[in-house]
Amino acid sequence: MPASTPSNDPGPAPPPRTSLWLGLVSVSALVAAQTHAILTSPPDADMGHLQKIMYVHVPAAWMTFISFFVVLVFSVRYLWRRRENDDLLAASAAEVGATFNGLTLMLGMIWGRPAWGVWWAWDARLTSTLVLFLIFVGYLALRAFVDDTDQRARWSAAVGVIGAINVPIVYMSVTWWRTLHQPPSSPATLDAAYTLGLRLNAIALLLVLIYFIRKRYEIARLERATEHAAEAVAMGGS
Amino acid sequence: MIASNQTFIIAAYAVTWVVILAYLVRLVRKGGRARAEYERAVQHQREERQS
Repeated sequence: MPASTPSNDPGPAPPPRTSLWLGLVSVSALVAAQTHAILTSPPDADMGHLQKIMYVHVPAAWMTFISFFVVLVFSVRYLWRRRENDDLLAASAAEVGATFNGLTLMLGMIWGRPAWGVWWAWDARLTSTLVLFLIFVGYLALRAFVDDTDQRARWSAAVGVIGAINVPIVYMSVTWWRTLHQPPSSPATLDAAYTLGLRLNAIALLLVLIYFIRKRYEIARLERATEHAAEAVAMGGS
Repeated sequence: MIASNQTFIIAAYAVTWVVILAYLVRLVRKGGRARAEYERAVQHQREERQS
């Protein structure tokens, strides 16, 4: 093992493997939660069975918000303490958040077509969600194109903070402006027949989110540790 | 407007699973490659020190 090799600069220790069990448990929980919701929730008075899309669309939106909150916290921490792992964790959460953000947009369009008659409308909720997605796609592009690690970390932390500030705007958009999109769905605003299904699906997707971020963070740390090892060889050879 | 809209419901769940499973597979493959590259780099580093 590398830890036993004598060295002046051993570089960062390799991260532990993210348990595959967490992945399997989270995916199984999602299957169970979705099955429960589909089989037990009654048709809505207005939307009929189309309401069942809520169990995937709303939790996906919540996971987007949680991911970008993680980006905000660790970007600020990086700007404050300049620790590399904070940058790597923020970047991992940003990639996972962008994935859930894209999923939220796609599910919203699938819901919108039968509910509103259109796939897309430039209303405040949809537009602000699209802007949020584009900001984090830009964040990931920035990380791909900037080679200097310090510069990349500083710039992406700044973009991460600015992007995360958009989250409350997205959430409040249906309250602040007249929108085609309905008010936010949550256990507080829903009929009791739908709350358990929504809660179970949100918890299951939260487990998936945790697995994704941990796994992506493990990969980011491995990639960085590999770079450190290569740099150490290059320094020793020069 | 009570309608079944089955196609849209199936599409929504299918898209969800395609995205989740595709990202899961990407992470697992990328993780395997990253760990293999790390182990190669550490092995190379060790050999350089010994020579």
